[in-house]
Amino acid sequence: VGQEPEEDPVTRNAKHALATALAAALAVAGASVAASSMDVIKDRQQAMDDIGDAMKKLSAIAKKEAPFDAGVVEQNAGIIADALAKAADLFPEGSDEGDVETWAKPGIWADYADFEKKRETAESKAVALRSVAVEAAFGPALGELGNACKSCHESYRRPKD
Amino acid sequence: MRIARRRVAAAFVLLAALAAALLLRLSRTDPLDGSALPVHTADPDNGEVLFHAGSCGSCHEAADGAAGADKGLPAGGAAFSTPVGTFYPGNLTPDSETGIGRWSDVEFLNAVTRGLAPDGTNYFPAFPYPSFRMMSVEDVLDLHAYLVSLPAVRSPNREPDVPMTAFARLGVGLWKRLAFRVPRFEADPSRSESWNRGGYLVNGPGHCGECHTPRNCLLIADEDRYLDGGPHPAGEGSVPSLRRLVERGRYKDVADLTLALRFGETFGYDKLSSGGMSEVQMNLARLPESDVEAIAEYLLSLH
Repeated sequence: VGQEPEEDPVTRNAKHALATALAAALAVAGASVAASSMDVIKDRQQAMDDIGDAMKKLSAIAKKEAPFDAGVVEQNAGIIADALAKAADLFPEGSDEGDVETWAKPGIWADYADFEKKRETAESKAVALRSVAVEAAFGPALGELGNACKSCHESYRRPKD
Repeated sequence: MRIARRRVAAAFVLLAALAAALLLRLSRTDPLDGSALPVHTADPDNGEVLFHAGSCGSCHEAADGAAGADKGLPAGGAAFSTPVGTFYPGNLTPDSETGIGRWSDVEFLNAVTRGLAPDGTNYFPAFPYPSFRMMSVEDVLDLHAYLVSLPAVRSPNREPDVPMTAFARLGVGLWKRLAFRVPRFEADPSRSESWNRGGYLVNGPGHCGECHTPRNCLLIADEDRYLDGGPHPAGEGSVPSLRRLVERGRYKDVADLTLALRFGETFGYDKLSSGGMSEVQMNLARLPESDVEAIAEYLLSLH
């Protein structure tokens, strides 16, 4: 009377297995959150580097170090447009810090709608630049893309030495 | 006994009054008077160049929703955050009630180069007058002429959100005594005309050192680390050093830095659009190309 019923060994084992599985699942989830936040920071830094490299090819034309070539413009503006499209998924909530140092400001997540609007604007400017076929239209289109980059970076990227 | 106690009390009151008088005296910056004004025909076009060189419009921009204010006019009122508090830079349009419409040349000169309001109180040095005191009087008068040529906007001034504002303004007076000891930029006749122009623009109107020179514990520019970068005044990230720019692989030569300052990120110079620098870059883009080149020449000479 008043005694706890003994758990049968099967139930106990099942409970134990469940607890272990749960702990393991949590650990995996935790690790994957950490890993994904780290990967996403690396991924977006890679995307920005790709944009930077493409921008260098385009600015060489603007600086008259290279001749205007619609094919080069299409290719590099295309790289930028694609990277900016990908960037829509590269700033998830919680990726304001990770094992890799990030220069993204927490303000991104305080007003994500504004950040997303700025990203979209930049993407549309890159798309417009991609189809520039004549030299006279190149400078102004590049300028608009540059201003879109500036506006987003000024608001959402920390300055660094 | 009672008399002795009264004497002590009286002495104490006297001492306190003397201390207060001394504080008031020390916190007062002597204003310039009319004799500081040279014979000069103001040139508003030169004033416009200085307006952009000083990025005046970037801090004195109109607050959102200011009545009839064109965003491009320096009607003031937009918040400017600093570690000391939030400031609302004043209305620089010639409105006679809320702007500088009634200011005399000498009042304007005292404001820009001495940090003194027309009523004699001290402006907080969020207004970078420690740099502007290096401007020539003629340039300041030209800037004044440019500002009064703009359309007037009614935009009342707003007190800053700083603890104990009136008392803090007295403290600013003491601070100025030390801050104004930092040597002014002096022309160097052994250098090119363009280097000297660049040095003047960087140190005077351009006030680059306000962010790029770290401050000491009294928030005064640390001469030993002149333009050598440091923590960002707004608290996020760091301000790059402007020294050894070529050695550090940032820019190839004067032509390269000139393009960077004129076009910034549009030409792939992606470092120039963080921490307020994109505004500065776009303001510099409005200077004559020779001025931007002069700035680049001066900066690349810093080792």
